[in-house]
Amino acid sequence: MPADPNMKILVVDDMVTMRRIVKNILKQLGFANIDEAENGQEALQKLRGDTYGFVVSDWNMPVMTGIDLLRAIRGDEKLKAIPVLMVTAEAQQSNLVEAVQAGVSNYIVKPFTAETLQEKLGKIFK
Amino acid sequence: MGTRSAGGSVPHGEQKLYEELGELARFVERAMKAISEASPGILSSSAQLPTASGHLRDLNKMTEEGTLEVMRLTEMIQDNRDRMTKELTAVIAHLQTADGVKLAERLQYVTGVMVEDGKHLTEIMTALSFQDLVAQRVKKLVAILDEVQSKLVELVVIFGIQQHEENTGAEGTAGDLLKQLEESKTTAMKQQVADDILVQFGFK
Repeated sequence: MPADPNMKILVVDDMVTMRRIVKNILKQLGFANIDEAENGQEALQKLRGDTYGFVVSDWNMPVMTGIDLLRAIRGDEKLKAIPVLMVTAEAQQSNLVEAVQAGVSNYIVKPFTAETLQEKLGKIFK
Repeated sequence: MGTRSAGGSVPHGEQKLYEELGELARFVERAMKAISEASPGILSSSAQLPTASGHLRDLNKMTEEGTLEVMRLTEMIQDNRDRMTKELTAVIAHLQTADGVKLAERLQYVTGVMVEDGKHLTEIMTALSFQDLVAQRVKKLVAILDEVQSKLVELVVIFGIQQHEENTGAEGTAGDLLKQLEESKTTAMKQQVADDILVQFGFK
């Protein structure tokens, strides 16, 4: 099903500059309803408190990492169907395997281009 | 256990043991002497590490501030570009119905150039992700420095290295460089301040 441009998207990263980059690209792609969180725990609270259609998350974050957030999302009855895209500097194959086993929807390695993000979005929401 | 011979000489087994104990005592003495000689450097390094970590954290802050400023300006240009594209599209539609075909073609070309620039602006934004990668490495370096400092402190405690007032923190090249970094934090001027001072000296 194609992505709904009005869906609420949660961008999760402890670096404010990275959140802004992802938000900017999503805005260029037509998505204007974007929320932010600094770590996995804050993200989980927001996800449980509202309706989100998509999560874009970093891996390395304080308090709760992206991989733990992903496992928590997939383990929650209300949240488990939400697509999760990991955008991370963790470029080891073992990280990718771990994310896939945890149920990630797709995986982008930093640094990335807007085209890559668009391509992954297209694959997730085809 | 052996017994001394009638002539008073030490049995071979015990002789060997005394020699080994002597060697061990000499080794310990050499080690303590080496630690004692290294102790001013160890204390100095231990004192400098928190300052070095602080500067690394400052690097994160500085790159973040620079990156956010570039982002702010890029976003303003993107918004202006969006508004201009909409205006031009409306003008082109109007001109086409009013038979201003050539003019409409030129405006179409301008719109195309703006769309290209829009892509470049997005590339600028994504290129700024360097700050995130730098910051992650700096965080790891800071964690390494914190651990090294913790180990040095253990050494200080274990070996009871005495701290002398005159030996704290300012030894060697590292100390000089740290001093310069510290000074740059407090004495580096912003342009406005420099201009104000120049005005006071009669510069127009």
